[in-house]
Amino acid sequence: MLEGTLTYPAGHPCCSVLIAGPHPFLGGDMGNNVVSALSKALALRGAVTLRFNYGGVGASEGGPADWPKVMSKFWKDGTFDEEQDWVNDVGSALAGLRRWCDLSPVVLGYSFGCWTAVKNLRESNAKAIVLISPNPKQHEFEPLCQSQAPLLVIHSDNDFTCAAPEMMSWFESLREPKTRIQLSAGEHFFRGHELDVTATVLGFLQHHRLLGAEQHDNGH
Amino acid sequence: MTRGPIEVFLTGATGFLGHYLLAELLTHPHVRCRVLLRPPVSDSSVRLERLLADLGLNLSELIADGRVVPVEGVLPDSLKRSDVSGVDLVLHAAGNTTFHANGSNGLETTNIEGTRGLLSLAAEAKIRRFVFVSTAYVCGEQAGHLPESFFDRLPPVRNDYERSKWEAERLVRDWGERSGVATICRPSILFGDSRTGRASAMKGLYLVAKATEILARAMDDNRDTDRHEIALRILGCRDATCNVVPIDWAARQMTDIALNPATESSVHHVTNPDPPTHQEVKGWLEEYFDIAGGRFSDETWPLTDANHYEELFYALGNVCLDYFRNGLTFESRCAADLPPGRRLIDGASFARCMKYAQATNWCRTPLVEHDLPPQASRLDPAWYFESFLPEAVPCSVVAKVEALTAVVQYTITGPVGGSWVSRFDRGLLTETHAMPTALKPEFEYRLSYEDLVEVVSCRKPLQDVFFHGSAEMFGDVERALKMVPIIGEFLKEFPVAGGGDCAAGSRAGATC
Repeated sequence: MLEGTLTYPAGHPCCSVLIAGPHPFLGGDMGNNVVSALSKALALRGAVTLRFNYGGVGASEGGPADWPKVMSKFWKDGTFDEEQDWVNDVGSALAGLRRWCDLSPVVLGYSFGCWTAVKNLRESNAKAIVLISPNPKQHEFEPLCQSQAPLLVIHSDNDFTCAAPEMMSWFESLREPKTRIQLSAGEHFFRGHELDVTATVLGFLQHHRLLGAEQHDNGH
Repeated sequence: MTRGPIEVFLTGATGFLGHYLLAELLTHPHVRCRVLLRPPVSDSSVRLERLLADLGLNLSELIADGRVVPVEGVLPDSLKRSDVSGVDLVLHAAGNTTFHANGSNGLETTNIEGTRGLLSLAAEAKIRRFVFVSTAYVCGEQAGHLPESFFDRLPPVRNDYERSKWEAERLVRDWGERSGVATICRPSILFGDSRTGRASAMKGLYLVAKATEILARAMDDNRDTDRHEIALRILGCRDATCNVVPIDWAARQMTDIALNPATESSVHHVTNPDPPTHQEVKGWLEEYFDIAGGRFSDETWPLTDANHYEELFYALGNVCLDYFRNGLTFESRCAADLPPGRRLIDGASFARCMKYAQATNWCRTPLVEHDLPPQASRLDPAWYFESFLPEAVPCSVVAKVEALTAVVQYTITGPVGGSWVSRFDRGLLTETHAMPTALKPEFEYRLSYEDLVEVVSCRKPLQDVFFHGSAEMFGDVERALKMVPIIGEFLKEFPVAGGGDCAAGSRAGATC
């Protein structure tokens, strides 16, 4: 059982958005500043959004059995043998979102969530893909080629996980249609720059006619 | 014993020894006590009230009856002459028991300047008698039979604590030569109450006991090694004695010394006339925690080839290593007052103290977690980083994250803030220092005092403070982030809900 927050508009939703958050072992949860800012901003523009906690985070069940051993390994090499569980969590969250809203979703990932979201592209039938601060140095994004949905990549010009030139070079290798927006501040975390991120995402989705006019959210 | 009314001015009343001294003084119906309490006195009174309640005394009633008069102030210089005027004797039990200053001036301020300030005030107010609580280990690394006399020259001290006590003794002796009768009480290592096992702070031998518990817990999880054949070198002398005394007995002895009319200055060892040997203490610990295998060794710390169990044990136990070796005996006029064949500390009373320690989660549960009301919640960052973390981390899940090796800086902003640096080596917190220090941090967490309080009390996750609040990470941010969940697990295991007042008390009021 996963813990999640569904945010929805007062009227009929114009689209649904699944938001996959940062790495659970790096302080990632659904209360993250970027995740929660996007959730609210999207609902105000008519989208149903679902954000959730990966297994073992908050009230979500699961997580590693031998925590000290797993953390030791993660501390050493930054890997977790059972990362696939978190990919599966995104699949479960997508299935949950479909139960609430039968529109094809926008798949949105932030940081580590970019990878877990992309790994679910085949099953998601995504209408659009948004990747915020992906780390192509750490993860493979091969499944992107399996979808023709419009892609937006947002990154900052001083991200410690992947420098801007490397990000641009990786972006060049991706298929069309695609858009890359480099924000001139915010490092990897966009603290204090959440509005820049949400405005960029809203603009992209509006361009692709996935969002309606601004309205008030009805609650969680 | 004096029979007329006596007015005592007591410092350190909220400390481990101090509240026992107060309780003991109050068993004498002719004694009235003015007790020095740190501001705000409302908070300090709450702590004192709880400590005395554990001993069956009601502070509110004692204040109403005029037996206890709280005096708000901080040593060395916030007291006024009127605070002590009319007092018959000063019993100065406040002290800082940190062994090493590590750049902090706490030992200097409390132990030396605090004593100097109080002596000056006592001279001004023409107080005739000054009783100072020092330590038997002011002798430093001397061996043999130590007389009850002042050391004219600084002994070969082991640490800054011993040096500060010697400096303070010198001030007291000089005061005695000029202004009145000076009495120096030198208790040895204080341990739990002989009747109940109770202790309100756990230092000294308790750290060795705690290190043993950590070892025992590690063996609980270890199926590969026989828990009765642990390869542990105990760096000490098996036949040397471990001079520990029960807190209640020590307080009674010192009260008797203080209330006994003295005509000339003197030094008293408040020491165990029949102390256990290290071999005996080892046996008691092994029996209580159901482990064995340790053997005494002449080697010294650090061991170049320390095994996992030794690293685990000495992460905490090395604090007291300096006291394992010396074959000291003390001249003492204190009598044990026990039936023949009984000892001040034996296997049964030791086990009682261990049971109390474990029942209170090594003094944390009642003092920090539940009993402190919100108004007493004043977290002292220095206590948290310098005392609490070194004691709690070895008992926590962090110690099991074997790959965790890092040098971390914590900076707390605001008027009560500061910077501290900790080194973690294979999960063990090996050292923590206040800045400046030679340790070079790999990354830094910087947060406000308010956020620190929220985080350590588990009211707010560290990541929330960082992502939504005012906290910052500097240096190797990726490693700083990786450490966030590790810190998060630690905080869940060891929340400090309003533990600062307790901390301030143990820093400012604990003795010996």
